[in-house]
Amino acid sequence: MGKVLRLTKIFLKNSFSDMNDKMGVSTKSKSRVLIYGLLFIYFAGIIIFFGYNLLDGLIEIHQESIFIGMILFMIFGLVAFQTIFSSINVLYFTKDNEYLLPLPLKPYQIILARTNVILLIEYIIVFLVGLVPLTMYGILTSASFIYYVIMTISVILIPILPVLLINIIVMFIMSFARLTKNRNRFQIIAYIIILIISVGISVSMSGTKESMSNEEMAQLIVQANGMIELIKGYIPTVDYLAEALTTNSALVSTMQILKTIVITIASFIVYLLIAQKLYFKGLVGNLFGGGAKSSNKEISQKEFRNNKLYKSYIGKEFKELARNPIFLMQCLLPSILIPILMTVIFITGINSESEETGNLTQMIQEIKIDTFVVSAVILGIIQFFTMFIYISITSISREGKNAIFIKYIPVTLYKQYIYKIIPNLIMYSITVIISLSIIQYLLHLPVLILLLIFIVSMIMGGLQSILMLIVDLKRPKLNWDSEYAVAKQNLNLIFPMLLSMINIGIIIGLVFLLNNMSAIIGLILVGVIYGILIAVANKYLYKNQEKLASNIM
Amino acid sequence: MIQINNISKSYIKGKKSVDSLSLEIKDGEIFGFLGPNGAGKTTTIRMMTGILNIDEGDILIDGKSIKNEPLEAKKRFGFVPDSPDMFLRLKGIEYLMFMADIYDVDISKRKEKIETLTKKFDIYKELNNQIQSYSHGMRQKIVICGALLAEPKNWILDEPMTGLDPKSSYDLKEMMREHSKSGKCVFFSTHVLEVAEKICDRVGIINKGKLVFVGTFEEMKQKFKEQASLEKLFLEITEE
Repeated sequence: MGKVLRLTKIFLKNSFSDMNDKMGVSTKSKSRVLIYGLLFIYFAGIIIFFGYNLLDGLIEIHQESIFIGMILFMIFGLVAFQTIFSSINVLYFTKDNEYLLPLPLKPYQIILARTNVILLIEYIIVFLVGLVPLTMYGILTSASFIYYVIMTISVILIPILPVLLINIIVMFIMSFARLTKNRNRFQIIAYIIILIISVGISVSMSGTKESMSNEEMAQLIVQANGMIELIKGYIPTVDYLAEALTTNSALVSTMQILKTIVITIASFIVYLLIAQKLYFKGLVGNLFGGGAKSSNKEISQKEFRNNKLYKSYIGKEFKELARNPIFLMQCLLPSILIPILMTVIFITGINSESEETGNLTQMIQEIKIDTFVVSAVILGIIQFFTMFIYISITSISREGKNAIFIKYIPVTLYKQYIYKIIPNLIMYSITVIISLSIIQYLLHLPVLILLLIFIVSMIMGGLQSILMLIVDLKRPKLNWDSEYAVAKQNLNLIFPMLLSMINIGIIIGLVFLLNNMSAIIGLILVGVIYGILIAVANKYLYKNQEKLASNIM
Repeated sequence: MIQINNISKSYIKGKKSVDSLSLEIKDGEIFGFLGPNGAGKTTTIRMMTGILNIDEGDILIDGKSIKNEPLEAKKRFGFVPDSPDMFLRLKGIEYLMFMADIYDVDISKRKEKIETLTKKFDIYKELNNQIQSYSHGMRQKIVICGALLAEPKNWILDEPMTGLDPKSSYDLKEMMREHSKSGKCVFFSTHVLEVAEKICDRVGIINKGKLVFVGTFEEMKQKFKEQASLEKLFLEITEE
């Protein structure tokens, strides 16, 4: 067991360590705690806001126990969804796998340590999504001390089964050599399948709303029970834990928790037995199978062309983004998919409530589109969509140890920074164009306002691109063991979100200040403010180009 | 010509990784930079190439200071880093064309130069494949090709022989000789003493950040025990 714990510790250190730790400079301390704290408060706030409305409604009709079922379902869903990504990466695509195999370790020790890492990653999110609403439930229903003990045990137990289940599924799929021969394609296909499933779930759930009539609430209860019933078939512990948390009898609670523990332990044993048969088959196939297609084609004359440096550099950035499945999925595709996805959910949401479609069309027609408020809302929506563009924030970290390249070639650092920013800006513009096309289809804005919103959004995009590059330069994550560590397990990724939140705050502030102002003047003012900010950020980047690169070594 | 003038570098305050190091690598010379692991070889090379800032002193590449005229200095050398795992998602040909664009290699020379270099290293047929499908040695070769494409006057190579098969290693050594014969300079670090002995005009040995010996192998033998093997001499110099 000691070896398993040591291995787990090493895997975790490998995944989360960054360059500064290696150089002996501690960056943890206050700033890291502050960032985690802010992130926690932000998400906890959102969860409390939405959870409170729902729970309050349920308490009114004495159906609060449904809330527990829903939260457990949500944890299960989230863990399952997250595990699909982390499982493939942690089990198969970390760089240390090659060094691990020759070590005198028993197969189960490696599997257990890898599973621990996946579980620990899940616990971070589970504690947030699970503990916050469950504690809120305890407070609002004046639960006893025992409730909180059971709640803690439940939160620890519930992610285990979905993680084991998903791991086995992933191991089963990966054990097919045919699939692992091209791991890039495999990841992309898996991602698309997951995306389709998640859109399907979102669409089917998009009928739910914040304020509900009793009838609708009753329908929701039936739906929620239905979901729990559905999961029970696969994960019986959800039901046991729900009962343990809602019953008034301590004996029943203890029995249900014990049942869950027994089932979890039994599942773990079965998991280990199956995993030992499946895991290494896939791992060896993945390690020593071909990573990409080999071509014996002659080099065409077209390849030997002279390119302008900017074209060549930006082209290189895009090629590296598009050909790496993880970067493709995390950095490139979201800027196209997120606005489309949100719109699909929104439109199906409207269509499912057909009688409301008329109301919405009527409402849209009544909107005074030439007021600043409307433009501000649109700017806010665009900010919401663009907070998931991770190109600039990972532009240095993506290069890993090869990031030093930018320092020894005869091209100024500032020029290279700009070349690294441009892909972010291009993808940002695609998000803005898609969002505005949809908005235009619904609202029929005057062309001038539409154009101004586009320009202002792009200025904001410019600021995002520069600031995020500066963040990545200051806190580069260069010693990663898998691309997943850069594109997912990277604390820097909260910065685009924070910036978007700040931007939305500024826009809301301006709406209050400029309530009666016309859209055109309001937008010009926002444009000027962000124009000044972009000029300041750009000057900072230019003046400190050498200093900013000092963490790359 | 590369002039290293009294350079120092500390990662941790009070502990110098490179301490007051001075060297001059003349045109037409192959210079081998030797030293045990962690002696300061890579740190020195990284300062020479502008990757690391120099705390004290300066480095001149053909008279251009890497500190004050970094772009001019960088145009005057071709660099092969110690790890060849770079741009793995690019095809070999894409990487070479990217390097050609950076170093502004004349369009009329590109095709010929790429063909000559890659055929010499036996990777021409692999150029249409992504670098990630290459073996370690092939990656090393493509990085060397990229560095030499622009025909830089000064070569700075960090452990260039690592991973090369005997033929490629021989070819690279031959290329180094040809390069120095044409009046240009080669600076490379290595652990392989025999390689250094065979092709270097002079060697420098660094230990714990300090340069402990500079000269020819003959001078080294004269200074220390004449009959001792190269390995013993190296150990004696670096063991204090």
